[in-house]
Amino acid sequence: MMVKVRAFASFREILGREKEIDMRPGSTVSDLLFELARTNRGFKDAAFDDCGRLKDYVLLMKNKKRIDPLQDLTVELTEGDEIAVFPPVAGG
Amino acid sequence: MIEITEKDFSLEEMVRMAKSNDVGAIVTFLGTVRDDEIRSMELEAYNDVARMELEAIAHEAQSRFHLKSVNIVHRVGRLDVGDNIVAIVVSAAHRDEAFMGCRHIIEELKARALIWKKEIGSSGERWVEHE
Repeated sequence: MMVKVRAFASFREILGREKEIDMRPGSTVSDLLFELARTNRGFKDAAFDDCGRLKDYVLLMKNKKRIDPLQDLTVELTEGDEIAVFPPVAGG
Repeated sequence: MIEITEKDFSLEEMVRMAKSNDVGAIVTFLGTVRDDEIRSMELEAYNDVARMELEAIAHEAQSRFHLKSVNIVHRVGRLDVGDNIVAIVVSAAHRDEAFMGCRHIIEELKARALIWKKEIGSSGERWVEHE
């Protein structure tokens, strides 16, 4: 199944603005993040600490709603989901 | 009016739009690019989500501070020192409500709107972190 990944700010520079990733049915948000890290060393270094934990700095949205990294990373993805990856905001 | 745009805006036009017979106070906030030893700044937004967040902030402020109107324009793209970044124009019957409402909106915008900026200087580039 295809899942869309959109990245912003520093993560856009690492991952590109937008890409589609083919994930196995039943994959979770966490699986997607590990897949991104497996295929992109820059993302692995930016998003995960030495113990393989997602850094606080990484913020996520699924279909434009915030994901709680402590609870929602095990949520299953479905075809066409849009996952956004970005650092803390700094507008104004 | 809530807008995220690459185009510059007219603060005067926004103030004109905020005027009405039941308004006694209009407060504006204009954010501009400061020369912190930078040449320019690059702003980007998760556009539709940022716009929804700005609309939510405007609605909250409108009811909490009894504002008559709220207009917000935030620019994205490449901006030079001195360029306009963001304008907030609020109107109310009285000045206290207008001042408090405008202050509330810019603080919430900075904390919540999905907008990022990168400073570009002669010695390099860096993404700005929220203060």
